[in-house]
Parts: sequence; C-alpha cells; structure tokens
Amino acid sequence: MRVIIFSWEYPPRVVGKLADYVKKLAVHLARNKIETHVVTYHDYMTGEFEENGVKTYRVTNPVKTHISVLTWVLTLNQEVERAAANIYYRAGGFIDVIDVQDWHFIPAAVTLKKAFGIPFVYSIESLEDHRSHGANSPFNMAIKSIEWLGMYEAGKILVKSEWMASEAVRIYRVPEAKIKVAKPESERWLRTVLETYKSLKEAHRSV
Amino acid sequence: MSDELRVMMLTWEFPPRIIGGISPHVYYLSKSLAKNGVKVYVVTCDFPGAPSHETVDGVEVYRVDSYKNPSPDFASWVYLMNMNMQKEAASIVRELGGVDIFHAHDWLVANAGIGLKHVFRRPLLATIHSTEYGRRNGIHSDYEKMIHETEAWLTYEAWKVICCSNYMVSHVKWVFGLPEDKLIMIPNGVDAKEYEKSDTDLNQFRRLFALPEEKIVLFVGRLVYEKGIHVLINAVPKVLEKVNAKFVIVGNGYMQQSLSEHIRNMGLTHKVMFTGFVDDRTLRNLQKCADVSVVPSLFEPFGIVALEAMAAKSPVVVSDTGGLSEIVEHEVTGIKVYPNNPDSLAWGITRVLLDENLANKLKENAYRKVVEMFNWEKISQQTKTVYESVLSEYSKTFWA
Repeated sequence: MRVIIFSWEYPPRVVGKLADYVKKLAVHLARNKIETHVVTYHDYMTGEFEENGVKTYRVTNPVKTHISVLTWVLTLNQEVERAAANIYYRAGGFIDVIDVQDWHFIPAAVTLKKAFGIPFVYSIESLEDHRSHGANSPFNMAIKSIEWLGMYEAGKILVKSEWMASEAVRIYRVPEAKIKVAKPESERWLRTVLETYKSLKEAHRSV
Repeated sequence: MSDELRVMMLTWEFPPRIIGGISPHVYYLSKSLAKNGVKVYVVTCDFPGAPSHETVDGVEVYRVDSYKNPSPDFASWVYLMNMNMQKEAASIVRELGGVDIFHAHDWLVANAGIGLKHVFRRPLLATIHSTEYGRRNGIHSDYEKMIHETEAWLTYEAWKVICCSNYMVSHVKWVFGLPEDKLIMIPNGVDAKEYEKSDTDLNQFRRLFALPEEKIVLFVGRLVYEKGIHVLINAVPKVLEKVNAKFVIVGNGYMQQSLSEHIRNMGLTHKVMFTGFVDDRTLRNLQKCADVSVVPSLFEPFGIVALEAMAAKSPVVVSDTGGLSEIVEHEVTGIKVYPNNPDSLAWGITRVLLDENLANKLKENAYRKVVEMFNWEKISQQTKTVYESVLSEYSKTFWA
C-alpha cells in the first residue's frame, strides 16, 4: 500500500502537537511495510529526504507576503499538489490513499481526488469552531467552509476521540458511519487507521 | 496529443459576466481559435441565469460556483474561487481524458492554472492583462505585495507570457524580472463587423444624449483614478470655451460622486451626462455617434476602448501612454496628448471638433488600421502558433 500524508507541521517544524503525532503515525506505517510519504511545509529546508523509513517531501510557499493564514494556506496548496503529483507520476500513477491532517491541505487533496480518483481520509486534530471559540467572522467562516469541503469529499473521517466524532456530527452534520475513532493512546489505534485506509483502497480499486 | 489542439482557458470573467476587458478578450479569442480548429474549454465564474455548461460559438464554457465560501476580502475570495475552479477543472479534464495546454488570464486564476499544470503535467501559458504595480502605481501594502507576488509566481510557472502591447512586454519584463525570450506580444483585437450592423436610427438615438447643435465627446471606462476621468472633467470648461459640446461619460466607479460634485460646482451639470454601465448595443451606437472619443488614461496596458472607437469610425484623442501610444499614430490615426494634462487634452479635443477634414482623415485611417492589424482572425492565428511552438518544446521534455 502506498500512502501520502499531508500535514502543515512535521518535525523539525513543530507548531502544536500535530507534528509529533504525524511523525509517530508515519513511522509506524513505514514499520508496517506501508510505503509512506509525508508532504509538508518548511520555510527553507525544502526537498526530499528519507527519515526513519518515511519519505518526506518539504515544500515552501511561492508567495512570501500574506495578509492571513488563510491566504498563506491557499497559495501553498499548489506546491503540495506539485509534490504529490511528482510522487504519483514516479509511482507509475498509483497512490492508494491520501491522509490529510486538518484543514490546510484539503484543497490539494480534493483536486487530486478529482484529477486521479485518489480517495482521501480527513484526519481531524482540531476544528475551527473550537480554535476560534465559535467566532463566525468571514475569516473563520472561510476556514470552516474548507473544513466542510473536506468532510464532504473525504471517503472517511478519522478522529481521536468520541467527543470529536460527536462534534463533527454536530457542526458539519456528517453521517456517523463516515467517522472512525482511532485513539492514539489505545492499542487498536494503528489497526483502526490501517483498516480505514484499506476500506478506501478497496473501494477505489473496485471502481 | 490528439489531432485537434485542446486548450483549457481559465478566466474569472466571461460573458455574460463582464467586469473588465478580460471577458470580451477571452470571448473573442476563444471564438476565433475555435474557428481556427482549436478545441477550447473555458472555465470561468458563475453568473446569475447563465448555465453551468453550454456551447457558445463553438466554445465549451463551464461556469463554476464561485460565491459559496464566505471571504474576508477580495484577494481571499480570489484564492477560494481558485480552489473551486481548480476542483471543477480537474474533474472536467479527467472526463475529457486530458487537454494539451492550460491558458490562464491574470493573477485572478493563477492558483488554478499552476495547480492544474503540475497535476496534469501540461504546459501553462499566461496572458498578463494588467499588473498590481501598474494599477496602484507602485506597491504600498502587504495586500498589494501579496497580489504582486502571486502575479510573479504565475509568470514564473508559465511557459510563455503573453502581453497585449510592447509597452506591457517591457513593463512585465521589468516588474517581474523576466527573461526577454519568455515574453510574447500579441495585440488585443476588436470585431469591426459588430459596428457595421445598423438596426437603430442614429439621429434619433443621438437625441437621447445631446442637442442637435452639440458635439458629442465620449468617455468609456471605469470611473477610477488610473483611467484619468478627472483630467477630462477638468478639460470640460476649456473645451466649452471654443466648441459647444456634450460630454457623455459611460461607466461606473468610486470617483463618480466626487466628479459629479465638481461638475456641479463648475455649473456645468447640463454639459456632462453620466450614463452608468450600458449594454453592448447602446455602447456601440454611442461610439458610432461620438464626434470624438477620448481615452485620457494615466495607466493603460492596452486601451481596448480606443480600438473600439476606431472600429466605430469615431476619431480618437488619447493620452500618450502605455498601449495607447502604440495603437495611435499622432495626426494619422488619432490625436495624442500629454497624460494628466487638461490643457493638452482640451487642445486635442477641440482640434478634432473644429477641423472636420482632419476628423474624417483620422477616422478613415484608424478604421483601416483596426481591420488590418487588430482583427481576431489574425490574433487567434498568432496565438495558435504560440500553442504549437510550446507543445513542440514540451514534447522534448520528460513530462511529455
């Protein structure tokens, strides 16, 4: 199985706790003989590396000056697409699943789904509704609209707690069957993630 | 590559959505390319009442739902619109089984064009109609700098950059530091046939705007600083000293209110008429009726309104700047005046209005030049040649 993880933070770039989680996930996947690619951002340390069996591909933002994290994210997505397309073509045109961590690279995942039929998992670390304490300015609503797009287009949604599953249902009216809970501290964590990937891969191959 | 060249045009405006000059440009270019055997797929923003997919004069037009994401400001809206446009375009390309080239018009579709290029590994062409630097006369804020850098990014990712005038070629080359051989000049065009249709009694039509004894001085454009409308308003009393004229101002913009107040203070309300935005037919009839058409711009990448006036056989007075300098030859196809100079502009207008022989000579020469130089048949042929040479270069790369 070949998987690409999209994450806006990955060590050595650590913004919150997502970076360490994604590293743990990627390393575990690689140990389980999953070909694991991580496409992530770094200001200047760009390019391709292999770290603990994980193939990392770091891109930077082609537009340096920004007015908000929203515009910053939206011009970075094309570089994420470029990196993912390079992996896709090099692999002879087959990627089983993309795993998008949080909202930042949902636009890229959606485009790749439409272009190549690659299914994606939307993994939620946090939601804008909680980060902004329910604020509903156009800025927050724009980010929520991207989260909504991810919920809508994703094949499956992975959350880390029952509470987050209920929040996704409450805020975005996601059908419960679409959500899988994989608690990082539980023994079943990796198995649940892998089963989720496999369910999408099989659905994808049977098309 | 199939036998037929397949181009996907990305544009934020296409008729019936008309905001500026890109909409008619892409419409006529696509239509003429289709006549020249190019299969054109236009992907653009939606418009109330316009279908999400239709065939217009041989061109496949797809309209994307562009207003569903809340946006804090215009630039954020543009980027979010690009997210939606790219998503829809990716589906369309997949359904079609591929296209040969992506052609993006201005930074407004930069993200979508660049993303599609990499995802489908097909060459991207960019037409730069205008720059943030030119529109704002410099870069003054992070907001403007972000747009400027997005434009630079588009020109960087593009295989070739097309500009509509030599002035724009040198401006774009300087502003983004591009190599000379990346830039191609293909002029903008005008469809002179559109002005030959006559279904209106022009004498009757003229009376809606001016008294029989008044000459019509026509301005067409957005009422914004860069278009120099304030220069024309300041020239009004200077012209009226010598000629009885009516100034007809077509277009909307943020300067309208202050200009109206200025005109009221001069006591010239009866000599200046603001029509607002008018439909195509009214505009063409006005251009045909105009005794002189004025383009007093301070910044003008091309100056399509001058070309339209020339096609309508209305003598033109333009400021000697940007693309206008190239379209008009002084005292041959029009009169050139100093930019941002009401005295010079008033001189140009009265020179045309007081000398009928000169006016006739100018409009005959101008019409001939428009038909020979700025016709879409020729422009689409030049564009097709660019597509073919880019594809031949592309065929030697590892992407092919």
